[in-house]
Amino acid sequence: MDGVVQLQRQLLDYTALLFQEGFLNDQFTQLQQLQDETNPDFVVEVVSLFFEDSERLLNELANTLDQQSIDFRKVDSHVHQLKGSSSSIGAQRVQNVCIAFRNFCDAQNTEGCLKCLQQVKNEYSLVKNKLETLFKLEQQILAAGGSIPM
Amino acid sequence: MGFGKATSSSKAMKIIETEKKISVLIVEDDPLIQKIHKVMMTKFGTEVQVVANGKEAVDLYHSGASFDLILMDFEMPIMDGFEATKELRSMGVTSMIVGVTSRSQDSEIQAFMKSGLNACYVKPLNAEKVTTVLNELKNN
Repeated sequence: MDGVVQLQRQLLDYTALLFQEGFLNDQFTQLQQLQDETNPDFVVEVVSLFFEDSERLLNELANTLDQQSIDFRKVDSHVHQLKGSSSSIGAQRVQNVCIAFRNFCDAQNTEGCLKCLQQVKNEYSLVKNKLETLFKLEQQILAAGGSIPM
Repeated sequence: MGFGKATSSSKAMKIIETEKKISVLIVEDDPLIQKIHKVMMTKFGTEVQVVANGKEAVDLYHSGASFDLILMDFEMPIMDGFEATKELRSMGVTSMIVGVTSRSQDSEIQAFMKSGLNACYVKPLNAEKVTTVLNELKNN
């Protein structure tokens, strides 16, 4: 049982750190609170949708910004969608970069947009990694017969 | 000859009102947001249906369906939230319609409100916003 308690402690500490470092915000907590016996995998399912959406949008952004003549309205539309889905799961740092990104779209600033694209890719990659680690910890706790602490 | 005491059935009878679930129509094209809002509203004890654009919402009402509350996204393909709300109001729909938008500028929200919304919130919905909406619905 000691092992489970240690894992639970690890999960709580890791989650707290993600909030402290600004990777996640209260919206993520809202999602966790929606998970119950009727929706036992809700958070994983929602976050998986976020991963799919984001990867598609990041590819589309790269393609759109690679064109000779950049369609900034199209870029803005993709960033707007990415901002929406990141804010829905509480991925604060991704959301923040999207806000800056949209300002560069408004100004039709190619260099600014390209920099933001790189930044948003980095932030997405970081939060994806951290969420996958969090879910692995949860799986370890459940496999050891424990329950997920809230 | 005695008669039983006459009782007025309407006075004596206790009218038992069964608590009917609030019905909610979520009008939203993004599957991620659809999922979150559906689970959230269900958790609050409402009966939820989801459609993917404004036209589907209007078609539902044309077919005779009605909901206590409509959560209307702004940006959607085929028919957006502004057009759908205008259309529903012109049909005489008096359901509570609450806009839910990613647009956060005051001017954008005011513009959306002009379509006939009762209220408008910036996404994402959270427990606090849902509570406010449902309390307002119950008070009206």
